Amino acid sequence: MIAGINRLGTAYGRLIDRETSIAFTFEEREYSAFAGDCIAAALAAADQWVLSRSFKFRRPRGILTMAGQDSNTLVQVGSEPNVLADRRPVTPALAVSAQNYDISLAVDAGSAIGLFSRFLPVGFYYKAFYKYGSWKFWEPVIRNRAGLGRIGRDAPHGYFDKQYLFADVAIVGGGPAGLSAAIAAADSGAEVVLIEEWPILGGSLTYSRFERDGGRSVMGEELAAEVAQRANIRVMTDATCSGLFADNWLSVIKGRRLYKLRAKAVVVASGSHEQPAVFRNNDLPGIMNGTAAQRLIRLYGVRPGRKAVVLAANDDAYGVALDLLEVGTAVEAVADLRENPEETARLRAVRGRGVRILAGHAVVEAIPGAGKLAIIGATVARILAEGETEKAAATFECDLLCMSTGYGPAGALLHHAGASFGYDQAANMFQPTALPPHVFAAGSVNGTYRLDAVMIEGHRAGWAAALDAGFASESEPPPVTGDRGARGLTHGFPIFPHARGSDFVDFDEDLQVKDLVAGVAEGYDDIELLKRYSTVGMGPSQGRHSAVAAVRLLARETGFDLAGLSVTTQRPPTVPEKFGHLAGRIFEPERHTAMHHRHLELGAQMMLAGLWHRPAFYGAKADRELAIREEVLAVRNNVGLIDVSTLGGLDIRGPDAAEFVNRLYTSAYAKQPVGRSRYVLMCDQTGAIIDDGVACRLHEEHFYVTATTSGVDGVYRMMLQSNAQWRLDVDVANVTAAYAGVNLAGPGSRDVLAKLCHDVDLSAAAFPYMGTRLGTVAGIPARLLRVGFVGELGYEIHVPASQGEALWDALMEAGAEAGIRPFGVEAQRVLRLEKGHIIIGQDTDGLTHPHEAGMARAIAQNKPYFMGGRSIAIQAARPLTRQLVGFALADPEGPVPQECHLTIRGSDIVGRVTSAVRSPSLGKTIGLAYVAPDQAKLGSRFDIRIAGGAIVQAEVVPLPFYDPDNKRQEM
Amino acid sequence: MAADAGGTGLEGQTRLSFVHRKLVDRGARFGLVNGGLIAVDFGDEAADEEIARQMGLADLSPLARTGFKGAGSVEWLASQGVAIGAESNRGYRQAGGEVALRLTPSEVLLVDSLLAEGRFIARLDGAWSWGEEKPRRPIGYPVPRADSHFWFALSGLHAVEMFSKICGVDLRAHRFAEGAIAQTSVARMSGIILRHDFAETPGFYLLADSASGDYLWECLLDAMMEFGGRPVGLTALQMLEGY
Repeated sequence: MIAGINRLGTAYGRLIDRETSIAFTFEEREYSAFAGDCIAAALAAADQWVLSRSFKFRRPRGILTMAGQDSNTLVQVGSEPNVLADRRPVTPALAVSAQNYDISLAVDAGSAIGLFSRFLPVGFYYKAFYKYGSWKFWEPVIRNRAGLGRIGRDAPHGYFDKQYLFADVAIVGGGPAGLSAAIAAADSGAEVVLIEEWPILGGSLTYSRFERDGGRSVMGEELAAEVAQRANIRVMTDATCSGLFADNWLSVIKGRRLYKLRAKAVVVASGSHEQPAVFRNNDLPGIMNGTAAQRLIRLYGVRPGRKAVVLAANDDAYGVALDLLEVGTAVEAVADLRENPEETARLRAVRGRGVRILAGHAVVEAIPGAGKLAIIGATVARILAEGETEKAAATFECDLLCMSTGYGPAGALLHHAGASFGYDQAANMFQPTALPPHVFAAGSVNGTYRLDAVMIEGHRAGWAAALDAGFASESEPPPVTGDRGARGLTHGFPIFPHARGSDFVDFDEDLQVKDLVAGVAEGYDDIELLKRYSTVGMGPSQGRHSAVAAVRLLARETGFDLAGLSVTTQRPPTVPEKFGHLAGRIFEPERHTAMHHRHLELGAQMMLAGLWHRPAFYGAKADRELAIREEVLAVRNNVGLIDVSTLGGLDIRGPDAAEFVNRLYTSAYAKQPVGRSRYVLMCDQTGAIIDDGVACRLHEEHFYVTATTSGVDGVYRMMLQSNAQWRLDVDVANVTAAYAGVNLAGPGSRDVLAKLCHDVDLSAAAFPYMGTRLGTVAGIPARLLRVGFVGELGYEIHVPASQGEALWDALMEAGAEAGIRPFGVEAQRVLRLEKGHIIIGQDTDGLTHPHEAGMARAIAQNKPYFMGGRSIAIQAARPLTRQLVGFALADPEGPVPQECHLTIRGSDIVGRVTSAVRSPSLGKTIGLAYVAPDQAKLGSRFDIRIAGGAIVQAEVVPLPFYDPDNKRQEM
Repeated sequence: MAADAGGTGLEGQTRLSFVHRKLVDRGARFGLVNGGLIAVDFGDEAADEEIARQMGLADLSPLARTGFKGAGSVEWLASQGVAIGAESNRGYRQAGGEVALRLTPSEVLLVDSLLAEGRFIARLDGAWSWGEEKPRRPIGYPVPRADSHFWFALSGLHAVEMFSKICGVDLRAHRFAEGAIAQTSVARMSGIILRHDFAETPGFYLLADSASGDYLWECLLDAMMEFGGRPVGLTALQMLEGY
């Protein structure tokens, strides 16, 4: 077990609990951490500084920001790839491994590619692999090397979910600006949600050096305490705002939950990102931002190194130097890029500790140790001009190099919201210049760095946001005046290109200065083009540390004024979101009929019809064909029962009910008697068939109209839309789910029904085919319909859904003696095909009109208007281009065509098969198909091309195939 | 309330809740109401009541409800003694504890009180008829709400937070007061939410497509898991309401 030789005393390590040790492994070696450690901190404490290898050149990488802002710390944790080691807390038995190496993290064979770097210049892949043979060779090689991390295919599913949140004012960032804003907004009476990435509030106050209170600042704790006192501030720590969308909709990720937060006003106080400098070997382990070193010290109690060189361009660097000295790190030198740095108290204190300060000097090169696993020194030289140094140089021994050369706003969320950014020449930084409505900014993201000014600005932003959200407070807070502290923080060109390269501008993409220079030279002289050609800023860091450097280089190479340039657009998410976060809980609505459980108990194989679950057939999957056949024969010869609850049901009621039905459907309904049903066919305005069913007249002013399972919702909408124009005195109700229904069908159906229904005369004379009656079945109020879809004597029985199971049970019991058999959708499809009935959407397509489907008889001749009528009349006056016919195959034992097998004539396609089956009732293969009009005569033959290209010959036969005189259904 | 009617058998009743088997699987004890079986508790009335104060889900589908819509329906209901105010998307409590949910200017859904006597609803259903007058007076038309929609009740201190995981409407008390109605999406389904507090305990009625009862029951149980939520019976809600 490797313990922490770099661990500092108890004065340090705000986030760790030294009472609780946790064991974990990295690369199969055991390490010990404290509760609260992140992986990178625990490894650093144990002197393990190499965490990963870079994407292209496989260079060893380690801590850069210690804040999850870079990608050097991406590691694999168990089956989870691409975890930020400087953010993920250590938990017991965590198994961490590095990514992207062959052999081992320390000895990577793949890093040999660095030797070939001159053959891999910027954009090389656009110019290579053209010859077919070469791509065939290289593709597997590249695939093998590409990517970071491994996806565990057997990884257990995590529980991810989502939650809606509401706020008057949302504040992103719990540093001094955000805390001040929250207090001000809450004091105006607004409901505030404060979102903070870290486990504790305070932002930079938690790790920076302050000279108040003997070097420690409690200001962060004081502000946090004030926030805690206000009940109308909801604090979310360990929460990251990943996107700011239209109308202030924010996505916030906390743990495994995605919050969808809607706020009236938003204050973005997300702070800034410290920027690295560019020099040879600036990417190696041991080279980190000054704030990274401070985070290691203050948050995790880890000494960042034994001997340090500090690269400075601001006063913060001297605070870093003092922090390092305080924890026993030797500071060999401070190289200050500024020719004449201001003699601040800190600078004097550093000099007073005997540290060599080299003004006007830059780090030219970091000296790598064996295997480039660490640095052993830094070479420093005097600056001659922008980006250039003298040849004469001094080398200092060090294992740590801290860079404090500047910052940039963490402005991604402001970009999302549509803010514009401009370059402040005096400060050498981009900052927001215009904010959209209802969005406010405060603190370093807004270009304000001096602490006093930050607090005032935060206070004012909170006040303004609350006012914007409708909460006025008594007095207006003061604006920020005087120095906002942005000048003298960021160097204008902390980039020192080296003739031998390895001077990295983008660590994620392994892009060196010469790559960007070459890109510009090749003509990609706009940042948008340069970005996409070179891929600068397109890695996991999303340009946090490379975008501004790229723009600086672009300005230098092109001579364009930096003030006129901009960084590329930042888009959501700001941090990686897991697919689990986006998916959340799986919400897939399902609809079950009232008899659903009976079907399962009877061994039904269920199928989906839209959202509904319906029985396809009853029995084992392997017995499918046999089961369907037996169900068909049971209905033909005996009695069967099918659940038709899913069919659409619409109650049309009112004085204009008949007129309404008349206008929507093709047939005539005005004089339909009460107690009768009529077929309904609905066509759209182009005359194309869109739905069918039956209309039952239950009362002079009441039609109960059925529709297809998948069509009813569209039919209902169509009805409402139509009546919004027609303004007929009619009410339409979609009662599909309210009624469960069965079709009791077969020659034995009347006898079975008679056992349960005593208040309706079921005799053929009293209740003829296409009649409709109201009565009770097994004591349950029912609508009874005699319809002919399956072509046998049968009754559709519609009852209230809550009594559907009771109805099913009663019918099954009453029919038991007769051997009643439940049948499913597949059998029903065969039965209706034997009767030549069409299925909308299968035998019709988006253009089929009634004349081509052989449904001219459904069109009333004397109606002044019905939907699609005019188009149908036009179609009737033109010759047909195709016709739907019934066919039988000459060879009854031959193969059965499938739906959409083509009907052909010679080399021409004339149509297709729409339905086909080997009919159990007829003992031959029958179906429906579109053919050319001159092939539609009874007796003509046509060809069908089936699977594999074989041709079968079919003959046009009359419809219906079965019981042509319809005697059986009219019994 | 009638005593436990036992098991899954119908015992002569023909009406079943849309989530009957879910209730059986959870160990519900049933009572007879409105021609059907309702879950009265899940084995321990006192435990149920405590859960209902924190986060409870009750199935009220077997209780009586009805609906009327179309021109004249509101006026007709008023003439039948139903108290309905002018605002839509509002529920109006009746003297006997029933609620008239005015969904639109001309559509009302009526639900029984937790006393489950059913008389109020039955009277209205019985009062509507086509009539003989010509031309017919516009009095609206009945809507089969007892079968088109399931009816769940959500109760407890965590109810609002539970809903915020599956519904995008702000249901907090100061934004969504007693009697407020949202006709909105719940777990990707259309649903009607009424705020109906049970005395001091926050509460909601949820009505949605009866064919999707199984699905939404599971969504709700999943969402309330982190609050220790579980099903409760009618008795627990009656106790909260002080009956």
